[in-house]
Amino acid sequence: MRYLLITVLIVTTLVADTASGNFMDALQNLSKPDSKESKLLSGATQILSSSREIDYKTERTIGESLALEGIQRFGIPVNNESLQKYVNMVGNGVASNSKRAKIPYQFAVLDSNVQNAFAVPGGIIFVSRALVSILSDEAELAAVLAHEVGHIAAKHALKSTQRAQFFEGVGTITAASVRGDKGKKFASAIGDMQAVLFDKGLDKEMEFEADLAAMETAYRTGYDPSALIRVLEKLQKLEASSRDKKGSWFSTHPPLTERIARMRLELKKYPDYAAMAGVQERFIKYAKIK
Amino acid sequence: MRISLNIVAGVALLLVATTALAEEKRWVSSEGTTLKSEASATSENVVDLIIGTEVTVVESGGRWLKVITSSGKEGWVYAGRVSEAPPVGEVSGSEAGLFGESMQKSQINTAKADSARSIRGLSPETTEYAKSRGTTELVKKSLDVVLLRKVSPKELKVFLQDGKIGEYAQVQGGKK
Repeated sequence: MRYLLITVLIVTTLVADTASGNFMDALQNLSKPDSKESKLLSGATQILSSSREIDYKTERTIGESLALEGIQRFGIPVNNESLQKYVNMVGNGVASNSKRAKIPYQFAVLDSNVQNAFAVPGGIIFVSRALVSILSDEAELAAVLAHEVGHIAAKHALKSTQRAQFFEGVGTITAASVRGDKGKKFASAIGDMQAVLFDKGLDKEMEFEADLAAMETAYRTGYDPSALIRVLEKLQKLEASSRDKKGSWFSTHPPLTERIARMRLELKKYPDYAAMAGVQERFIKYAKIK
Repeated sequence: MRISLNIVAGVALLLVATTALAEEKRWVSSEGTTLKSEASATSENVVDLIIGTEVTVVESGGRWLKVITSSGKEGWVYAGRVSEAPPVGEVSGSEAGLFGESMQKSQINTAKADSARSIRGLSPETTEYAKSRGTTELVKKSLDVVLLRKVSPKELKVFLQDGKIGEYAQVQGGKK
């Protein structure tokens, strides 16, 4: 009987620990070596070659050059300083809990009617006015931005084109490297990366990796991670009725049905997700743009 | 019956012991992490913790962990700001590969990059690229404004506080 009591006590303690420690358990599962994320990460290491020699300064030059092309193509930033500042707050909030928290990040809403968001190497992230307009709260914005931060943290754009190997071994890109013959090669490599980021889209597994990172980063920050699923579901509805898919998340990202299904499974790691922040009021105040 | 109960109790004890061991070490993985005197964001600051700092868990309370640093500072840290494994560093091209680089070194490198950048917007290299591509002044100026926008750690803290996000959430239940 005494043993029975001890056993009941221990089991009860364990159950109580689990109930109160959902948040802890979820966090622990994320960093287990045999977890899906860990395996994904090790897979990413295997394919990493072209970006190994690129230093941060060069990565940033590549990113800024691509950012110029992005603005050229999708539109200049929306002329609304309080919105731009707000998006930078949410973005930096999630970035500080990402796997690459130490680099500077800048975020901007571009005046584009195509639902899209993209990240260029080094920390610059753009989201379109059209994509922001379909979001309902801050957690949804955080999910989109955390997805893009995930791409930058894992250096997906740099790994996605053979031409990026041009940067390998060249050392730090200087102003002289972007002039003359070298400049032509640089521009050609930027052109290839543009095609991937703006038209073809990144590798499907990279997108899933960024989705996983988005949920984890949002959750660590304190946002409801299920917001990512809500955004994907909204895009799925839009996709059904959208005629022009060129340059949008529909054309540059993997099938939404598959992403939603995978993220629903992933959500099981965050049993207390519904108790996390949504922050609707502030989002409406700053981000509901006409 | 008594033997099987003993086994169950033994297994349960082993589980508890394993869990305790597994939960011992944590590493700071978020920017702007502060060790607090109590399990609350409004309590006093003990010390600021940089990314990669190793801490030992003393006690767990909801979403907060009571930890002790290697220099003996004790206090509470929000669980979302630490991880079970040391955070990964930057790609350096070294033989150690992507995950072999020490976080400290990476922090120094990126901090240098950040401070170098903080004095201007568009870099000379990008300006040169824009020139070669015939990029319009409007596009260049637009990116320059984007790059000059900064968020200070203090601003970010106030923002998270206002939104009651993460460690600033007042009630663990009840979605805002």
